Amino acid sequence: MHLLVVGLSHKTAPIEIRERLTFPAHRQAEALALLLSQPAVAEAVIISTCNRTEIYAVASGGDEGVDSVIEFMADYHELDRHELIRSLYITRGVDVVHHLFRVVASLDSMVIGEAQILGQVKEAYDHAMENGATGLALNKLFRQSFEVGKRVRNETGIGENAVSISYAAIELAKKVFDTLSGRTILILGAGKMSELTAKHLVSNGVKSVLVANRTFERAQELAERFNGEAIRYDDLYERMRGADIVITSTAATHYVITKEQVASAMRGRGGRPLFLIDIAVPRDIEPTVNDLSNVFLYDIDDLSGVVESNLEERMREAGRAEHIIAEEIALFVRWRESLEVVPTVAAIRAKAEVIRLAELEKACKRLGGLSQKDRETIEALTCAIVNKMLHGPTQRLKQAAAAKDGYEYVETARHLYGLEESEARGHGKLRNLLNRRAHDTADKQATHEIGDSLGC
Amino acid sequence: MAQGAVILFWFTIVAYVAATVLYAYFFLSKRAAFSWYATFLTGAGFLCHTASIGMRSTAQHGTRLDGPNTLILFAWALVMLYFVMEHLIKVKVYGTLLVPVSVVLMTLSQLIAGSGAATSPLIENWKIGIHVALIAFANAGFLIAAVAAMTYLVQEGQLKRHKTNVVFKRLPSLSKIDALARRAVAFGYPAYTGGLLLGVLRAIETDPPGWWADPRVVLAGIAWAIFGAFLALQYTQRASSRTTAWIAIAGTIVVLSLAVVARTVPAGFHIFGV
Repeated sequence: MHLLVVGLSHKTAPIEIRERLTFPAHRQAEALALLLSQPAVAEAVIISTCNRTEIYAVASGGDEGVDSVIEFMADYHELDRHELIRSLYITRGVDVVHHLFRVVASLDSMVIGEAQILGQVKEAYDHAMENGATGLALNKLFRQSFEVGKRVRNETGIGENAVSISYAAIELAKKVFDTLSGRTILILGAGKMSELTAKHLVSNGVKSVLVANRTFERAQELAERFNGEAIRYDDLYERMRGADIVITSTAATHYVITKEQVASAMRGRGGRPLFLIDIAVPRDIEPTVNDLSNVFLYDIDDLSGVVESNLEERMREAGRAEHIIAEEIALFVRWRESLEVVPTVAAIRAKAEVIRLAELEKACKRLGGLSQKDRETIEALTCAIVNKMLHGPTQRLKQAAAAKDGYEYVETARHLYGLEESEARGHGKLRNLLNRRAHDTADKQATHEIGDSLGC
Repeated sequence: MAQGAVILFWFTIVAYVAATVLYAYFFLSKRAAFSWYATFLTGAGFLCHTASIGMRSTAQHGTRLDGPNTLILFAWALVMLYFVMEHLIKVKVYGTLLVPVSVVLMTLSQLIAGSGAATSPLIENWKIGIHVALIAFANAGFLIAAVAAMTYLVQEGQLKRHKTNVVFKRLPSLSKIDALARRAVAFGYPAYTGGLLLGVLRAIETDPPGWWADPRVVLAGIAWAIFGAFLALQYTQRASSRTTAWIAIAGTIVVLSLAVVARTVPAGFHIFGV
């Protein structure tokens, strides 16, 4: 089994290249069929998002598999192979596991900790599975990667803190009001940024939207978009009394909201707090408004500061995520090792040896009074039987394992001989012996007959 | 029975200490599983605590109203109120702040055990038993409110200064903390009023000279007025949450001073040995 990933992302390719190399959902079946028609490729998953296009494959060793995938990418999108290669990264073996786990944990994303990538990878895997493009290796790899994604989300705070201005404003508003459902927002100025923030606030449960603008028609236009109410500019301060959150983004060159006006609006509010978000430059709200009791004012710099500190927090959490990834890689590697032919052959022979010794011991006890020579003869006999019985199957297993889907033979052999991972790598006397033997043999890389290293 | 009470008492301390550690870990890591185990241990500790108080009371033919027992009762009321608040407002993180207080109170009760003087015969009455229980319950509510008030001021300060840290991210929202303080006082205040009334009734019955000028009685009256003002301002929404937070803290400082004054100032009838 040779895992590989060939791809490009926002880190290696500009948008001009990325947009030419996408595999939309409706074309995945066709693309996967074409990819799997390459003789060197046994399994494949294509991940295609706006920031990355990656092909995960199980392929033949050497450069044959990589070449096939690159050729497929270039041909499919009619790109110049040499031009394409400049933007690609190629990863093999355990590094593929590391890369995929980092991708699903969103450590490789443009915005670390973003939640979408896990769903996108799941979708890509579903496409591949539905089209019969995955097998044992990629099934195991991707399913484990989803576990990694979940663990990272649950066990770290990587996705917790807002990293955009509008989300930071919502996060802060929630720190004041706990929940935004049933709250009223007042938008002053119908700019794009205030519209975006208002959109997020409404999607978080804000009940009513009031819009004020110098041009009443523009206010009406924006209010309609949120099923809100356009208010006359002159009524602004009166209506502020009923609002919980005020967003301002006018083009005014002076303060539109002063401390006195807010102080007056705060009277008769029954001690309810007021959260003001000033995203205009130059600012719309007099900064000393923040000194008023129960009033919280954030301007664009304050919100940027929150975003920056949240990003730092995410970076710290990324360190914890890397620990989780390292643990999961170790698990995957252990599983993969169990599918390698040399340790498998060694484990089969070790198991046979344990059985041989046990049966020899029983027979010797039953016969009793055997001379040293008799004993050596019986021992040589049992060794010869075991060796002859295993020689053919192990030779053929080694030959079959060299093929592109060879790990399936190994998996079958492990199943037939009862060498499940838990047995071969667990506890107990037999398991210890199997492990020791398997490791000894693997170290010698068994270029010669494996049976020789088992003392027979 | 007495032996059983002691064993259960230590089980309680062990459970509360373990819960404190888990709550702290939950506070730092935000892993919900730790909060679940911490709440479970607090609940188990609370059951042991209740059984211990009951068994001790049975063994001694009634709960002795001395300093250590009052502290144990106070810790019990604190945990019980915490569960009520947790159920109403769902502020798991609050266990991190309150369960350690119970541990301290329980430990303190053992440190001062056996050092007390004989209790005054004036308090050997059922009215005083209920008075002490109600006051302990009310004090637990006031302490919960004071901790909430301090949390509010910390959180509000960070929001105002636009400087946040890990504590900011872990603590609940201002409106939740404010609601917590309000409800804690709303639970404690009727109990405090009832407790004081029973105390006054007993004082009138026995009529010791100058009982109304006893420092503890005076301070209790002040605390009662402060928390009364807190509730009035909260429910009529005539003051900001920041102002009411300071009022809750001031009230709790008076309650705590009251506990110290009653045991240190050698005047008045209201001294019954620690």
